[in-house]
Amino acid sequence: MERGLAEAGKLLQGLRSSFQSGDVASCQQHLGQLKIRMTQFPALPPLFQKTPTQKEELSLGREVLEYAVLLTVKKEDEAGFERQFLQLKPYYVDTRNSIPPSSREQLITGLNLLRLLVQNRISEFHTELELIPSAQHSSPFIRYAIELEQSLMEGAYQKVLNSRTNLPDQSYAFFVNLLLDTVRDEIAGCSEKAYDFLSLAEAKKMMLLKTDQEVADFAGMRDWDIKNGSIYFRKINEEAISKDIPSHQLITQTLGYARELERIV
Amino acid sequence: MAAVAVARPSEHGFSQPTSSAGLLAMLDEDESVLQVYALKQLNRIVDEFWAEISAEISKLEALYEDEGFEERELAALLASKVFYHLGELDESLTYALGAGPLFDVSEESEYVQTLVAKCIDQYVELSVKANESKEKQPPLDTRLVAIVERMLNKCITDGQYQQAVGIALECRRLDKLEEAITKSDDVPALLAYTLRVSQTLVNRREFRHEVLRTLVKLYTHSGSPDYINICQCLMFLDDPAGVAAILDKLVKGDSDDALLAYQVAFDLFENEFQQFLLNVRDRLPDPRGHAEAGHPPAEGAESTPPAEGATAAADATASASAALAAEAKDEASAMEEDTGAAESHAPAIEGLGDLPIATYAERMTRLKGVLSGETPINLALQFLYSRNRADLLVLKNIKGAVDVRNSVCHGAIIYANGLMHAGTTVDTFLRENLEWLSRSTNWAKFSATAGLGVIHRGHLQQGRALMAPYLPQNGVSGSPYSEGGALYALGLIHANHGESIKTFLLESLRNTTNEIIQHGACLGLGLAALGTANEEIFEDLKSVLFTDSANAGEAAGIGMGLLMVGSASEKAGEMLAYAHETQHEKIIRGLALGIALVVYGREEEADTLIEQMTRDQDPILRYGGMYALAMAYRATANNSAIRRLLHFAVSDVSDDVRRTAVMALGFVLCSEPEQCPRIVALLAESYNPHVRYGAAMAVGIACAGTGLTAALDLLEPLQKDPTDFVRQGALIATAMVLIQETEARQPRVAAFRKHLDKVIGDKHEETMGKMGAILAAGILDAGGRNVTIALRSRSEHDRVTAVVGMAVFTQWWYWYPLAYFLSLTFAPTALIGLNGALQMPRLEVTSAARPSLFAYPAPLSDKKEEEVKKVPTAQLSTTARAKTKAKKDAAEKAEKGKEAIEKVGAKGGKKEEEKEGGDAMEVEKEPEAKKVKKEKEPESEVLSNPARVIPAQEKYVRFPEGSRYAPLKKVAAGWVLLKDLKPGEPEELVSQHAPAEQGAAAAPAAAPAAAGGAAAAADEDEPPPPEPFEFVPQ
Repeated sequence: MERGLAEAGKLLQGLRSSFQSGDVASCQQHLGQLKIRMTQFPALPPLFQKTPTQKEELSLGREVLEYAVLLTVKKEDEAGFERQFLQLKPYYVDTRNSIPPSSREQLITGLNLLRLLVQNRISEFHTELELIPSAQHSSPFIRYAIELEQSLMEGAYQKVLNSRTNLPDQSYAFFVNLLLDTVRDEIAGCSEKAYDFLSLAEAKKMMLLKTDQEVADFAGMRDWDIKNGSIYFRKINEEAISKDIPSHQLITQTLGYARELERIV
Repeated sequence: MAAVAVARPSEHGFSQPTSSAGLLAMLDEDESVLQVYALKQLNRIVDEFWAEISAEISKLEALYEDEGFEERELAALLASKVFYHLGELDESLTYALGAGPLFDVSEESEYVQTLVAKCIDQYVELSVKANESKEKQPPLDTRLVAIVERMLNKCITDGQYQQAVGIALECRRLDKLEEAITKSDDVPALLAYTLRVSQTLVNRREFRHEVLRTLVKLYTHSGSPDYINICQCLMFLDDPAGVAAILDKLVKGDSDDALLAYQVAFDLFENEFQQFLLNVRDRLPDPRGHAEAGHPPAEGAESTPPAEGATAAADATASASAALAAEAKDEASAMEEDTGAAESHAPAIEGLGDLPIATYAERMTRLKGVLSGETPINLALQFLYSRNRADLLVLKNIKGAVDVRNSVCHGAIIYANGLMHAGTTVDTFLRENLEWLSRSTNWAKFSATAGLGVIHRGHLQQGRALMAPYLPQNGVSGSPYSEGGALYALGLIHANHGESIKTFLLESLRNTTNEIIQHGACLGLGLAALGTANEEIFEDLKSVLFTDSANAGEAAGIGMGLLMVGSASEKAGEMLAYAHETQHEKIIRGLALGIALVVYGREEEADTLIEQMTRDQDPILRYGGMYALAMAYRATANNSAIRRLLHFAVSDVSDDVRRTAVMALGFVLCSEPEQCPRIVALLAESYNPHVRYGAAMAVGIACAGTGLTAALDLLEPLQKDPTDFVRQGALIATAMVLIQETEARQPRVAAFRKHLDKVIGDKHEETMGKMGAILAAGILDAGGRNVTIALRSRSEHDRVTAVVGMAVFTQWWYWYPLAYFLSLTFAPTALIGLNGALQMPRLEVTSAARPSLFAYPAPLSDKKEEEVKKVPTAQLSTTARAKTKAKKDAAEKAEKGKEAIEKVGAKGGKKEEEKEGGDAMEVEKEPEAKKVKKEKEPESEVLSNPARVIPAQEKYVRFPEGSRYAPLKKVAAGWVLLKDLKPGEPEELVSQHAPAEQGAAAAPAAAPAAAGGAAAAADEDEPPPPEPFEFVPQ
């Protein structure tokens, strides 16, 4: 065990240095080995056994996974981020009382909040937020995410765009850029409901797009028609709602009840 | 949530994670090592986090389906567990099967137990389907089979043999059944268990037969074959040759074996399967042929006149000699038909060894006497006669309370008298009330005469002579009603054992064209030839049917059914065709019931016919369909039958059909009396009085003789029903449930008797209710208080005669004389000990219970009679009525209080018995101290042979230690053969009160010369019949 821990420590050193130098491939390699090794450590989640080296094991595991998370941001891999973060989370939630908090905890938690915003999973965003102790809300990472969410909810999209300028950490850039797409989708969704048609120029401004071509592509994606320099939104057929009353079934049921009532013992 | 998340670790010291999301995320890793690790960890915590995992179940499924993944089975196990938690047992099972060896059947967890049960269920379902359907089924999933077999093997190695037997039976795995039985440590007990279970749990007849065949094989291969049980099995299998072979072997053995042979014969007799018994008897070799040296066997039997045959069996008892004569004649005719049987005698006799032929012949004669029913019936008759405790005062009171001009009640009293004295041969009541009796006219006369048959039931030798006064003498016939009644009576006397009377009844039927006489003769023939499927009789009945006269046709229909009981012959089709043709409702009804009787006990085999009848346009035939369901599935508690009956009970348009459907539930459920009240409870509250009546009767039928409190709870409100015929049914049903119950065991008996008195005496009660009360009084004290209503024998097999009798009895709704069929259900509650010569030696057994628990009810005193009379006179004005009511209430309260005390006493008594050998005095103090004036009751009583042992008492009866005789079977009831431990000493026999003296003293001169002469010749002690009463038409 001791030896395993020492070897893992060495590998972690390698991981650190290659992460600093930005060597993604080397990081990946180190990570793979470390993770397999970590399955041998009984103190790690979900086992949480109390071993003599419990603290070391936990700290090591946490750091490895933190690097794994940050690496996915570097690789711009959203799904990977989620996967790694879920593995990391038990360390933050369940080990709070046994090892000192990590310096990167708020950074990564904030990133995760941002990811949820990007994926438009607002309810999960709030669940996560509730799980964060209120003392941490004032941290710049968390506060940044909260403010972004507020602006989004208010519809103050300009504020969202402006927030790109004051990132708390460089790693946030990836998600904030992605957020733009989320915002655009929001706006498009609202426009569909609000307008019958919209001129291309207006649309371009509203959807935060740069060229007419981009507008046309976007319209194609959302299945809008472009005619005479305007975008026509397709009305979703509303009359379909009333079609689904199962009248035939209801009639047979009622008749059935009547018959059964007659022969009740 | 945050608080929880933070609090948890400190509480549990990191023992549990708060979420499995991390592990689930790990499943997406590229490294399979990590995936496997995640699976293993998830498998560990799945019971807690299945909800989270279920969201990602598709990942597990994908892993399982990935052929390249090395731990697919682990993924399957995990998926199975998640599905289990989700309640999707089918999916769960599929994945569990996929998990292969990882699914550990020996694990104690709920998950494994549930899935194994599910697994077995599915296996059972599939194998039953494979067994039953004709077309080829796809082979069973080998993994499923493997799990079931693993489970079975585990049961066997763990010593849970009963479980293994149960599973093997359900799975239709005879090989495993055999294995479980042979490997068990107590083979005989397990065999007995299997026999019992196969009768109750195996629903399909064919498979049950296979099981029985396996059992017979196992029994015979076991060290000491249990012949009693083997023969039971063979009887269920309808294999008379096998039984005959065993009996013959036993008879040739030493005297103990011979005793065993008799015991086997008696036990077989208890099931009352006449046709089978006769087949066995006919297959046994005829020893007399050999006794007459030099004659070839067949010729010897033919040429020997009956009298000679009787002398050959030198020391046959005097009472049996007449039987022998009749039997020898029968045998001779059997010989003629069956030369093959005659040939088989030659080698059979060779196995005798050093046994003298005379002894062999003697034993064989005795054995045949038992098989043909002569001996047991005779013994039962002696018992019923000598122990008759019927209370004439009850009848007298009823007679006094009822208006003489009411012919229905008048008739009912005669019925009640018949039932009360059934089989006792005591007709004092009729003799004492000849003038009153003469009020019966027409059909009432018919049933009054028939009542004599019930009273003399089983009086086989004297039956003809007894009824002679009512039969045409020297070609001169009296009233057709009494003649018809007499023929019916002869049938009742010889019910199920009518070989000697068959010919006479058949001739009587042929010689008449009077439909009343035909009616009686048809019923009589049906009863006498019950279940024999005799072609000749059937043809004669059919020709009566084709005369298309309502009364005769109805009886012919029922008679045909009785004749063909359980044969499932295609004659049923003929009967059905005629039922469609005729216009007479009575005939259709008779035929419908007849058809139902034909499919008796045929279960699934009868389904086509049942379907055909239940879909008929004619409600009477649908009604017959209900009976067919009842008969085919009698005492099986078959779910599908119950479902069908319940369906008809609520959905048919005809009241008759609905009533019968509910009633039929009683027949189907009579193997599980505790179930019946629960199932019909809702129906008993129906708005339809016919359904209520049916519910009452169903409970009466299913719970007859049990005294079940649940049954009484259901019946009690129905006794006060606003509809008269519901009250009638409830009263009769209650009497059936309470038969032979004592106040000490069931305090409601007293209240019920009082209620009967009240109903009978009440001027405002309708005739229907009164009639029910009168009949109920008769049933309550039936057979001189020495019989119970038993639809099943002690071996838990249905008694054909009894069930059929009960079914026809329920027809009295349409035709009162059929009420006498109830007497077929009566079984004497006796312990009759017999020695090797089939005589009753003096013997005493102890019953380890307070005598009052099982005692006869106290006889009424005249004082009480006055009391009864007072009540109606007091009802003159409202004040008087109120006064009486208050008085009565007080009296009732006092009575109840007394009952309660007695109840406590009874409970105390029981407790003591359970303790057995503990300090009895201590327990006794509390309840008994309250009854200071009452003498302390002894804790046990000594009964002498033949003893009255009611079913509930059986478990208390012991043969005392150090007695001269040792019983051959454990249950101390019925006919028990006794092994004489001191054979040298002279035996003291019970002096046999032949059922006679009283009658002989009363009116020997009055009996007509013809009857008297015949009676005197055979047995001087026989009672002559009652005076032929004059019928004065009003």
